[in-house]
Amino acid sequence: MRVRIVAIPVLDQEQALKFYTEKLGFVKKFDIPLGGGARWLTVVAQEEQDGPEVSLEPAPNHFEPAKVFQKSLFDAGIPYTQFNVNNTQEEYDRLVQLGVEFSMKPTEMGTVKVAVFNDTCGNNIQIIEIL
Amino acid sequence: MNPKMTFYEKEVHRIKDICYSNQAQIKAIIQIRKYIDNNFDANLNLDLLSRECLISKYHLLRLFKKYYGQTPKQYLIDKRIAKSKEFLKAGMTATQTCLTVGFESPSSFSSLFKCKVGMTPSEFQKSNF
Repeated sequence: MRVRIVAIPVLDQEQALKFYTEKLGFVKKFDIPLGGGARWLTVVAQEEQDGPEVSLEPAPNHFEPAKVFQKSLFDAGIPYTQFNVNNTQEEYDRLVQLGVEFSMKPTEMGTVKVAVFNDTCGNNIQIIEIL
Repeated sequence: MNPKMTFYEKEVHRIKDICYSNQAQIKAIIQIRKYIDNNFDANLNLDLLSRECLISKYHLLRLFKKYYGQTPKQYLIDKRIAKSKEFLKAGMTATQTCLTVGFESPSSFSSLFKCKVGMTPSEFQKSNF
């Protein structure tokens, strides 16, 4: 068994694709129509295109409990998942310039530095730098 | 504490206070990780690292595992494997890569690489062309 996919529930796949590629800098890998407007849509890190894929899945629009779970996490400020960065402060500054909203500014916690932003598709996402 | 903080941010600060209050210890361990990052190709061992941060080797071992979740040796191996992938992708031979990242035996390197990556260095190199 291998880990190839990290699934993130999104409220709007097209908006998510734009955010994850244009703001975060990911690259689209697969985009397969699944009927009813839904797509199997994955993105990968620019510098690791053979690495794990992030699946932007439309679960909240098709399964009410998924929407409730996502909203509960969001309201509590809890990140749905996290991405590693080389420098949290630099990435925070870059994303703020692009209009991304953060619910938690860069904060050191032991041997990591984290920050949390809104992906505009229903999730908080944490960026993490290993110090 | 800022009342506008989210539940999550409050939790981050609570955990920080409980688990990460010893700043001097954390600073020393971060320094060790950076030392390994910058010298991954050298013949590193616990004695050398403990001299580097002036902490006894057993204490260093405990602290590194406590703060990074793995021993310095495990961390060093992961670092060398990650660097190996970079060098192999850049076209370096398996033997050259083995020696460049600080491993001594090409056959042990090949077995370790296969164990960690799922394919031998040469298979990995072919898969990237």
